[in-house]
Amino acid sequence: MNEVIAFWILSAVAVLGALVAVRKRNLIHGVFALLVFFAGLSGLFLLLLAEFIAAVQVLVYIGAVGILLLFAIMLTERVAGDDDRRMTSRGWLWGLVAAAAVFVLLLLPLSPVQQLSMPKAQDPSEFLTQISDPGSDGKFGTEEYPKFGKDDRKPVEQLGRKLMDPYVVTLEVLALLLTAALIGAVTAAQSVRMPKEEDSPE
Amino acid sequence: MIPELLINILITTVPLMLIFATLFAFTTWLERKALARIQNRIGPNKVGIPCTRIGLFGLGQPAADGIKMIFKENIVPRGADRLFHLLAPILALIPAMLVLCFLPLDFPWVNEDSVKAYLLDGAVIFFFAITGLNTLAVFMAGWASRNKYSLLGGMRAVAQMVSYEIPLVLSAVIVVMMVGSLNAAEIAGVQMRENWFVFSPWGFAAFVIFFIAALAETNRSPFDLPEAESEIIAGYFTEYSGFKFALFFLGEYIAMFAISGLAVTLFLGGGDGPGVTLDQGLPTEAFPGLAVIWFLMKIFALIAMMIWLRGTLPRLRVDQLMGFAWKFMLPLSILNILVAGFAWHAERLGNTYITVTTWVISLAILYGAASGLNQLNRGKVRPREYKYAE
Repeated sequence: MNEVIAFWILSAVAVLGALVAVRKRNLIHGVFALLVFFAGLSGLFLLLLAEFIAAVQVLVYIGAVGILLLFAIMLTERVAGDDDRRMTSRGWLWGLVAAAAVFVLLLLPLSPVQQLSMPKAQDPSEFLTQISDPGSDGKFGTEEYPKFGKDDRKPVEQLGRKLMDPYVVTLEVLALLLTAALIGAVTAAQSVRMPKEEDSPE
Repeated sequence: MIPELLINILITTVPLMLIFATLFAFTTWLERKALARIQNRIGPNKVGIPCTRIGLFGLGQPAADGIKMIFKENIVPRGADRLFHLLAPILALIPAMLVLCFLPLDFPWVNEDSVKAYLLDGAVIFFFAITGLNTLAVFMAGWASRNKYSLLGGMRAVAQMVSYEIPLVLSAVIVVMMVGSLNAAEIAGVQMRENWFVFSPWGFAAFVIFFIAALAETNRSPFDLPEAESEIIAGYFTEYSGFKFALFFLGEYIAMFAISGLAVTLFLGGGDGPGVTLDQGLPTEAFPGLAVIWFLMKIFALIAMMIWLRGTLPRLRVDQLMGFAWKFMLPLSILNILVAGFAWHAERLGNTYITVTTWVISLAILYGAASGLNQLNRGKVRPREYKYAE
């Protein structure tokens, strides 16, 4: 019961935040409304017992992306942040169609029709049923599919082991990509500034 | 009828808020008194028991300040964004209060059923994530005031906090690495069993980096550029008065308590101290609440250090601030992670000679790196250029 109440409150916060973020013409207000949406989403993750993702949602989206957006607004010369100019909104119909399409695509795996037509062996939800159903085969409770009991549930540790063991190459490639992006950003920022410094007298 | 869950939540959270709000009042008095003594003044000494001449060393000063703040007029500039001007102080206080529940404080009245947030698996990550929200509040205040000094202060605060968050987190990574857990209670427990992390070369280096970054993160002097009164009036809270200003003030001090509490948890052994012993893996106290008292005393030691630094050091310049974070603290903390990684493997060998050698070598490496970085950065900081004065 408590979870249901929390779910509805958090969902309402998230949906309202998203709506305000889209509808507000004031950019700074929009950014903060977007952050409210992220906060609501983080709460929903927490409700799903995904503590790590909830924390990362706050850390990355509210902490980093939010600050980045604010910086971008402050550094853009022609946007003062609080102007109420109307933006041209041609093509909103296409946007609506795209949004609806994405929504339907996300819902497809959940639909009962899909579940019936899918062959049992390739069902992606089989993994979930294996976890929730002890003793269906010998895998439950072993190293590969750890028990989700209340006492020894350590999702963060599991995530860390997964990132450091099977997915370490992916992680390193991603890190390399981000470093390249960082260096690229520095180079791009510097090439604009360099001539200015040479021009200035002493 | 109140649901049982609500009681279990409130029993851990309400005392936290009350205790730290009381400590805030005491700390403002302590800070004014200590700063005054450093500057050869007496400080607050008049306000004591009302209607008498008893001064009590000015201990009534916080109450008088509070009453004054509540009754002061609330002024909002004409062009300001009224909603954000109101929300910013609240947003500054909430994250600071929220992260207090991630400190491993075991109050005597807490029982098995009460909700303890510090037992979360990722308590330390949550702490850093939520502390970061403070930046947004500062920016919000600066932007909503419609004042160039406020906005300058807000932008400074954002740049400063973004830069110093990296060494802060990287130095905490060492402890997480050594313990192998992000659980605050477990980190404190390991230090009770073995040794405080501050008593090892890498732990000490990490503690110093953490403490300096924490000063910057809470906008404390010498990193109080966002509110530099000699340059930009009062920075982001130039346009704040009355109770809204008091909320900022409260938020800043609660954030100080919270980040000191995290430093105590990570490096200073949590509630460890004389009278607290381990009995079959569980901490046992000589009398209930002793661990909490130790914890709060360690927090106060760090707060006293912050006050002392505020009375001693002059404020940094913006370029010095950024240079210090990116050219000194960041390389040092990354090197420290490497050193700690090797030390972790060396300690697993279980050989005393190897452990001692590791300690000596890592001490030498860290000292050499610190002085080397210092040497490299020397002379890079340009002397002050006077544009409008001579």
